[in-house]
Amino acid sequence: MKPKLAPVYKVKPEARETILWIKNLRKVFRTNGSFLTVLDDVHFYAKSGEMICIFGRSGCGKSTLLKILAGFLSPSSGTVLLNGKPVTTPGPDRCVVFQEDTLFPWLTVKENIAFGLRGRIKDKKTIWEEVEHFLSLVGLSEFRDYLPREISGGMKQRVALARVLILKPQVLLMDEPFASLDAQTREEMQNLLLSLWKKLSHTVLFVTHDVNEAITLADRILLMDKSPGRIRDEIRVDLPRPRKKEKSEFLFFSSKLYERLRE
Amino acid sequence: MMEKENNSIHNSAFALLPWVIPTVFIILWTVISETGLIPTYLLPHPVEIGKAGYTYIFRNPGDAPFAGRFLNDAGASLIRVCSGFAVAVILGIPLGIISGRLASVRKLMSTTINALRAVPGISWLPLAMIWFGIGIKTTIFLVALAAFFPIYLNAAAGARQISPLLLQAGAMMGVNRLRGTFAILLPGAMPHIMTGLRLGLGISWAYLVLGELTGVPNGLGAVIMDARMLGRIDIIVVGIIIIAVMGRAGDQLLKTSLRFCFKSARRMS
Repeated sequence: MKPKLAPVYKVKPEARETILWIKNLRKVFRTNGSFLTVLDDVHFYAKSGEMICIFGRSGCGKSTLLKILAGFLSPSSGTVLLNGKPVTTPGPDRCVVFQEDTLFPWLTVKENIAFGLRGRIKDKKTIWEEVEHFLSLVGLSEFRDYLPREISGGMKQRVALARVLILKPQVLLMDEPFASLDAQTREEMQNLLLSLWKKLSHTVLFVTHDVNEAITLADRILLMDKSPGRIRDEIRVDLPRPRKKEKSEFLFFSSKLYERLRE
Repeated sequence: MMEKENNSIHNSAFALLPWVIPTVFIILWTVISETGLIPTYLLPHPVEIGKAGYTYIFRNPGDAPFAGRFLNDAGASLIRVCSGFAVAVILGIPLGIISGRLASVRKLMSTTINALRAVPGISWLPLAMIWFGIGIKTTIFLVALAAFFPIYLNAAAGARQISPLLLQAGAMMGVNRLRGTFAILLPGAMPHIMTGLRLGLGISWAYLVLGELTGVPNGLGAVIMDARMLGRIDIIVVGIIIIAVMGRAGDQLLKTSLRFCFKSARRMS
């Protein structure tokens, strides 16, 4: 159950296998008799261990896209394939970190993290060892017995991250998870996500509307258009990590992204 | 240091707060009785009530009218309240949770529930007596019927207000329906369920007395009726006080045991 120690990120991107295929995805909502096409012909793939940011303005359907990938919504047409199998229901192979606080308020930090494991592992000792391991990975060992209402917003998102990473998902879906945090905490959380990603090498799809966040995190940025939502462009960010906002290369990418956004 | 002492004084004063109103009430009652403002056949002196209560609870049966009946009466009443309440819980919580989550069930139940809820319990009494005769069955029926509605309605409201995001979070972590019900729905609805149970238990006592007014030989309601026939107003008041005390103790016991048994009851209220 220990995480894999050979990070995929060291394998060259070309050599990684594609694990997620999104094909011709279309989502139409029906409201008061009229139809609203939220997603139209969305088409992309993700390679194993890749960090992809889905970037777009609010209302471009990026959260809807993520909900379909998670299995909370079904598409009007098109398919989502994970390892060749179509995705239809929610499951622990595609875990979500929500923007909102979705921890169970009646469970302590460690109980929240153990929640998903309890359904699949019977041996309590194994569960608690795993929980301790992930508590220390997200730096919350001292807060294991606190209730969600007793910890800060940033800590809650750490718990939310730990409770899904402990399930070893193939794809981690993140829906603007740091949007409601203050700038400093957000930066801390981005660094934490990157360091966990290096250690655990899961595939990440990260929805954001923050230019700097996208460039700090992503291997690839998928730029989404609004009404109907479709992927307009793909930007490969081949900067070495850690990426500093002040560096000229970073600024080059952010001006490029702003420019594309205005087009 | 100073602050700490203040705090402890403050805390002990705070702990006494619930007893202020009963104490003031008894003092006022004593004063009114001493002055003779109200004749004793309408409201006996508190000391008389104390004596009657002592006789009723502690003296041997046969020593005096009503002597030593307490254990027998309280036991009979407790059994009736507990059985009726248990029936209401067993039906009310599952049905409430289901109708809170499924719009079709909610729709199916709503007219019936709201119509039945509007019927005062006392109008069921004649019917219950014809169906079940005089005795324990009628009382249990009335108690169960009355306690069902608050338990059902609060469980439904509790299940309904659970954030869909919590259920989605559960689903993505691989939780199936059965585990979801016990690990997410019930704890999430617990504060509401608790309110429903407390309201239901409270109303159970009311309907207990109603059920026992009909000529059953024992029970706290029966004592009050017997005392009325014999003109023993002191015993009526003793009966009222005993029901009040038992109702309060029952509520506390319910609260404590829920908190003891469920994390969610402990941590969310």
